[in-house]
Amino acid sequence: MLSIETQQENQHYILQPKGEIDASNSVQLDESIRRLAENGAKSILVDGSAIEYISSAGLGVFMSYLEDFQEQGITLKIFSLSPRVLEVFQILGLDQLIPIFPEKEAALNAN
Amino acid sequence: MIKLPTIHIGRLSLLLSILVWLSLLFVDLVRLFGVINNLNSGIAPEITWVLEILFFLTVYFFYNYNLQKNAQNEFLNLLWRAASTGIFASAAFLVIQLFYEFLGDSKLGQEPFLRNFFYHVHFALIAIFLISTTLLWKKLILYQKTKQVVQQWQTYEIGLLIAMFFVFFSQNTFGYSFIFGFVILTVLGGFLSVNLKWIPYLTFKEKWKSLLFLAIIIICSVYLFLQTNAYSSAQQTYPINLLDNLFLISLYVFILIYALFSFLVTLFNLPTSSVFEQKLTEAINFQRLSQSIQPEEDEEKVLDILMDSSMSASFADGAWLEMYQTDRNQTIIQTRWIEEKEKEELSQLIESNSAAQNWAKESKADLLNPLPLKISHPKFGSLLLVPLVINKSVIGRMVLCKELKDGFNKEMVSIIETFARQASISVENHRLLNQAIQNERYQEELKIAQRVQKALLPINLEHNQGFEICAYSNAADEVGGDYYDTFQLDQHRYALIIGDVSGKGTSAAFHMAQMKGVFQSLIQLNLSPKEFMIRSNAALSRCLERNHFITASIFIIDTLHHQVCHARAGHVPTLFYRSGNQKAEYLGIGGLGLGILRNMQYEKHVEEKEFTYHSGDILILFTDGIVEAKNQKSQQFGFERIRALVEVNHHLSPKEIQTKLIDSLHDFVGGDGLIDDDYSLLVVKFN
Repeated sequence: MLSIETQQENQHYILQPKGEIDASNSVQLDESIRRLAENGAKSILVDGSAIEYISSAGLGVFMSYLEDFQEQGITLKIFSLSPRVLEVFQILGLDQLIPIFPEKEAALNAN
Repeated sequence: MIKLPTIHIGRLSLLLSILVWLSLLFVDLVRLFGVINNLNSGIAPEITWVLEILFFLTVYFFYNYNLQKNAQNEFLNLLWRAASTGIFASAAFLVIQLFYEFLGDSKLGQEPFLRNFFYHVHFALIAIFLISTTLLWKKLILYQKTKQVVQQWQTYEIGLLIAMFFVFFSQNTFGYSFIFGFVILTVLGGFLSVNLKWIPYLTFKEKWKSLLFLAIIIICSVYLFLQTNAYSSAQQTYPINLLDNLFLISLYVFILIYALFSFLVTLFNLPTSSVFEQKLTEAINFQRLSQSIQPEEDEEKVLDILMDSSMSASFADGAWLEMYQTDRNQTIIQTRWIEEKEKEELSQLIESNSAAQNWAKESKADLLNPLPLKISHPKFGSLLLVPLVINKSVIGRMVLCKELKDGFNKEMVSIIETFARQASISVENHRLLNQAIQNERYQEELKIAQRVQKALLPINLEHNQGFEICAYSNAADEVGGDYYDTFQLDQHRYALIIGDVSGKGTSAAFHMAQMKGVFQSLIQLNLSPKEFMIRSNAALSRCLERNHFITASIFIIDTLHHQVCHARAGHVPTLFYRSGNQKAEYLGIGGLGLGILRNMQYEKHVEEKEFTYHSGDILILFTDGIVEAKNQKSQQFGFERIRALVEVNHHLSPKEIQTKLIDSLHDFVGGDGLIDDDYSLLVVKFN
């Protein structure tokens, strides 16, 4: 099960996926991120505190936006990942490409 | 053993009855000779009576056998047989009468022997007509028989048998006992005559025919009865009375009663017979609709039957049927007796009708009932909208049109609704069946894919004396995205690869095949692990979908120098057990998954490391399916469990270690728990 909440804080858009992200619902995450980008969001933050599990298909969603966002000047940051989920990002090496912060404040303050 | 010739009952009884009749004639003529010449011939009347009874019985057996043999027992056919026998007997009788009219008062006309001969002919014909007709009536009475009716009939037959022997008792006189027996048999016959269940099954035309036949039977039996009475009043000419027999007279009455009843009931059934026929047709149509269509046949056949049955049930003057395709563009399947222009006009009238609009909006399709509509159209006065519902969604509608106003009554609507439901079920079954066949085909294709993919994994793992190796792989679906391989670079150097495509199933399997192609090509170039990963990334970036990536680890083992050089591309870390300190730990090395960065930037994100191994050291390569396997409490198998298991079982052979790991993985997940991902395992033990 996955539910995604979006909220806006100043110029930042914060996505909060809740539950497990796997092949069956990664499309949902993909749509949420794409909609924000199409609406002109320049700063997207993902609140990872409620992500219980992420499969390779979920990681694929984050991965697929890397180059596009770089070209369009959109920043994507992730914060508050649980140790287990963070480990998945680290093993794949995505933490080298997507800025990951321990908490929201750090993510907001970083450039 | 003497083999008895097979007795032909039909012929035997026919022969016997002729013989009996001839002897009866002989006996009576001899007696007549005695009477005329005032001689006592010494022939008692009992002999005549015995022969008479024998004649009745043989005729009975002959017709009984004959009727049973003729399986073709249509009602009309039975009636015709009775009528034709009656006509024959009456005609024969008429001819004899005409013959005597012609002779007038001539000597031959007064000849007693000739008169007696014709008297016996007459007797035989009447007996045949009465007995055969009674047996035919029996067939009709026992149509759709109940136990009670069968018992009644048997009682009546016993009564008739007794009546045959009554002649010994009454000496052919009309006494109270005669009247008593006659009344009992008539009452029994009357009771039996109410069994007329065969009549409703006649069609309108058949009813007219049967009325004609019944009329013939009635006229013939009345005529024959009157003639019999004429004989009785001329008693002096005939020394023995054959016809004033309780048996024969009871049969007369019975045949007349039943024929009269049948005639009247058939007559009064005539006006309602069309209703009965209609209901019968509906039942047959329903049965045709409920027979499921064969997979190779078309749905249209069922819709065809639906249209025909509904139109005949409602006497509709025109109809059409629309099936909605998935894109909601109406496709008209069929029209009946209706012009395209009229159909357009009527469609517009329906669109503008508020009741029809509400009807079309009904969200719960299974609650949708046929809707009768009044319309103002130059030709048609009323419409009936019939929904076709499959699996809670409307797949089409049938529109029946009548020129009359209020042309659809409740009974019509309910029978048409039943037809529509049944047709929908048939169509649904047909679609499901086709789907099932299609699925079967896909399953077959997947099995082939599985076989092909299995062949992509190596059967023999290349190695030398320097190390032992074994591997295990399992896919969550029919096909999977895990890959491992070995390759001998030179005499002492071997490459080991393990890879995992993101996602699972068919798409993963295709990417896995591409991965194998890329790896097999690049490994020939004798590259360093890091260079190998950089080139793999470049090659795979061109063929992977945008949101797919591959993780991999490569190990190059040099058995001469006991060196291992490796690189990791986002793959789960490899476990390395050192026999020196008897500890296992995961090899910490950075490295980004393949296909994530699709430009030269990738070079910065991949490392290469080298280490020395000793005898007894173990390498455990695996994919994330093992780490992420969950138990009922949603806990993951995790890295730590693998590490602990290897430390405990380090002394075992690679095959045994592998078995331990897989077994404990299954134990962890639970008996019937499924591992929802592909997982693979490679165990290497150095010598």
